[in-house]
Amino acid sequence: MAPASFETSRLNHARHVKYWRRNLKTLLPQYYTSNDSNRMLLALFTVSALDILGDLDAALSAEERQDHIDWVYSCQVPEGGFRPWPGSDFGKLRNQENKKWDPAHIPGTFFALLTLVVLRDDLQKVKRREILEWLVKMQRPEGSFGETLGSDGFVHGGHDSRFGYMATAIRWILRGNLEGSCEGVPDIDVDQFVTCVRAAECYDGGISEAPFSEAHGGFTCCAIAALAFLDRLPLSPSQKPDRVIRGVSDVPKTLHWLVSRQTLTLDEDDGLDTYNDETDSSETCHDAHTFVKMGAYQSVQGNSNSKGRPHIHYELEWVGMNGRCNKVADTCYAYWSCVPLQLLGRLDIVDRQPIRKWLLDKTQHMVGGFGKVTGDPPDLYHSFLGLLVIAMFGEPGLEGVDPALCITNKAKKHLESLSWRRRLTGMDDAQDEGITLAAERMHIQA
Amino acid sequence: MPKFYHDDEAWADIAPLPQDDGGLHPLAAISYSDEYSEAMGYLRAVMAKNEYSDRVLGLTEHIISMNPAHYTVWLYRANTISEIGRPLQDEIAWLNPTALKHMKNYQIWHHRHTIIDALGSADGEAEFISSMLEKDSKNYHVWSYRQWLVKRFDLFDKPEELEWTHSMIESDVRNNSAWNHRYYIVVGGREGKLSVELAKQEIGYTQAAIRKAPQNQSPWNYILGILRAAELPKSTLKDFTCEFADVQRPEEVYSSHALDILADIYAEEENSKENAAKALELLATKYDPIRANYWNYRKGLLDQPNIAA
Ligand SMILES: [Zn+2]
Repeated sequence: MAPASFETSRLNHARHVKYWRRNLKTLLPQYYTSNDSNRMLLALFTVSALDILGDLDAALSAEERQDHIDWVYSCQVPEGGFRPWPGSDFGKLRNQENKKWDPAHIPGTFFALLTLVVLRDDLQKVKRREILEWLVKMQRPEGSFGETLGSDGFVHGGHDSRFGYMATAIRWILRGNLEGSCEGVPDIDVDQFVTCVRAAECYDGGISEAPFSEAHGGFTCCAIAALAFLDRLPLSPSQKPDRVIRGVSDVPKTLHWLVSRQTLTLDEDDGLDTYNDETDSSETCHDAHTFVKMGAYQSVQGNSNSKGRPHIHYELEWVGMNGRCNKVADTCYAYWSCVPLQLLGRLDIVDRQPIRKWLLDKTQHMVGGFGKVTGDPPDLYHSFLGLLVIAMFGEPGLEGVDPALCITNKAKKHLESLSWRRRLTGMDDAQDEGITLAAERMHIQA
Repeated sequence: MPKFYHDDEAWADIAPLPQDDGGLHPLAAISYSDEYSEAMGYLRAVMAKNEYSDRVLGLTEHIISMNPAHYTVWLYRANTISEIGRPLQDEIAWLNPTALKHMKNYQIWHHRHTIIDALGSADGEAEFISSMLEKDSKNYHVWSYRQWLVKRFDLFDKPEELEWTHSMIESDVRNNSAWNHRYYIVVGGREGKLSVELAKQEIGYTQAAIRKAPQNQSPWNYILGILRAAELPKSTLKDFTCEFADVQRPEEVYSSHALDILADIYAEEENSKENAAKALELLATKYDPIRANYWNYRKGLLDQPNIAA
């Protein structure tokens, strides 16, 4: 079935290991300074990438692993929750008057918890109750979540689904699918959050930052992943309707939008239409790139462009994905578009092979990692998301992943096996206790 | 030229607070420049004592130039502005070039909202937006900001807003952000509901744009959105889509999007399932094979009763 060229597109496993080990062991270059406040995200990407590559245990001594865990905990603020970097920490000078400049941070907390999970920590030192109490305050009346909480109770940060995604993931990590109050801590308003997500659905089936904003892959993915964490995705036709508010409201339209993200417009030059009439070549047809006009519309230029082509569909071997209508392909949007398809149970409606080939042949970099577009140097963000996509497609030699959580299935299992979590989620029973304890012991030895 | 504080008289009273990176093995540690490390040390020191002053304003500006994603430095700056009574116009004058330098930063826009909201005037904002869009005509933050302005200052019914949107579509008919903004004004300004009359006007407008570039998905999506808002069926577009695609003449198809809509229209008609299947087949095999899996999936749905694609 697979074309011969499938064999030539290879994940250069050793190079990726080298790339991520370098990120783990040495200082990141100075241009990452503009990402200084996102260090916890970079931390998760680094350890999780090595976990996906199956190299984490080899890369870390027990002592180093513990030191990394301690570093993450050093970012836990006294009130509960994490800062995403040490940069706002006042140390001994931190007090009631200045702690507002060093607040717990939704992305910081999300990435810190996952980093601890990947490092196989048991989260016993996490102020779990305080985080869950804080989450409730991080939700605004219309349902959205923000980034940080002001001393006056004001929720700072955008209203879009990014923070909702991370907040609902934090909730899932700390209390699973339970709805309603949990050990005396009230729940977030799940119905209101779903209402808020639905309000940001666009006329074309994508999801945007806010009602009537433009549909965008990142917001679509975050929204759908959040609904998955909350168990509020639409029921399948075989399930019994339950009158619970769910999203997205029009699955066929959303699927249409998601598959429309596949594009052969792979760099900005492809977007140029010299005659401004879409007729000069198949290269200029956004999102239907091989569209060939057979009638009178074909121009002289169009004919000369397609002359000598081996096959009209040969370029279909490499298909990228964009994040918005009429934009060029970008490594990270393969992630943002494929994950919601997977969560909606319909990853089969895109052809994974050409996407895989595009990532491996066009944006995978010689030194390891992935760049944003063809020819770009790798960066941690695109390198990690590109790797996640390849892993979610089932690449041999990579660990299986839960792409919405950005961690391996093994790491997720570790989280689900923790005794405090099993007690909360009602997964605990005497029979399984022995297995759990044994599993936990094994992780400690690893 | 790098700016340092340790040899600056004006900062002699401040003992910088160095970063504690929590032991031997931090994660994602960055090779900071001396300039950044030092400035951050002074920032922590003044934040720790809640100092609001002119020099703090300069320091926040310095940090923002190196790390605009620092979320609390923006809040600290906003506090400083109100504490020292800095004129808001001065802040906007500073923000304009700063925003141009950091086009993809979230915090800058949040800050701008705060300042413009407090100023209570959108004067000059249209020009500022135009200068941003000249650099990147699809910048997400800029378009979101424009929407916020329209709402905050109730510009939905101002003819200039629709005219400007039209000019943006004119200059690039594939700019999906511009089409989306049009939808915001036309439909969003009417709480999602549309009269048939206005819908007809918009349909006419969009059809003209599609005739210019039939393989451009933005106006096709827009026109379907208009139909939905006006509660008109897709079949309203049947004659129009047939200008670009006819399943009986598979060699003469000028738009895959027309075929796509035609497939839906046929699927809903009595006794036209075969035509719907033909349209989807043409898409899968000839006119949009990169989405072959999807078109085949849609074809499979045709056999299932009562499930609209
Ligand atoms: Zn990207």
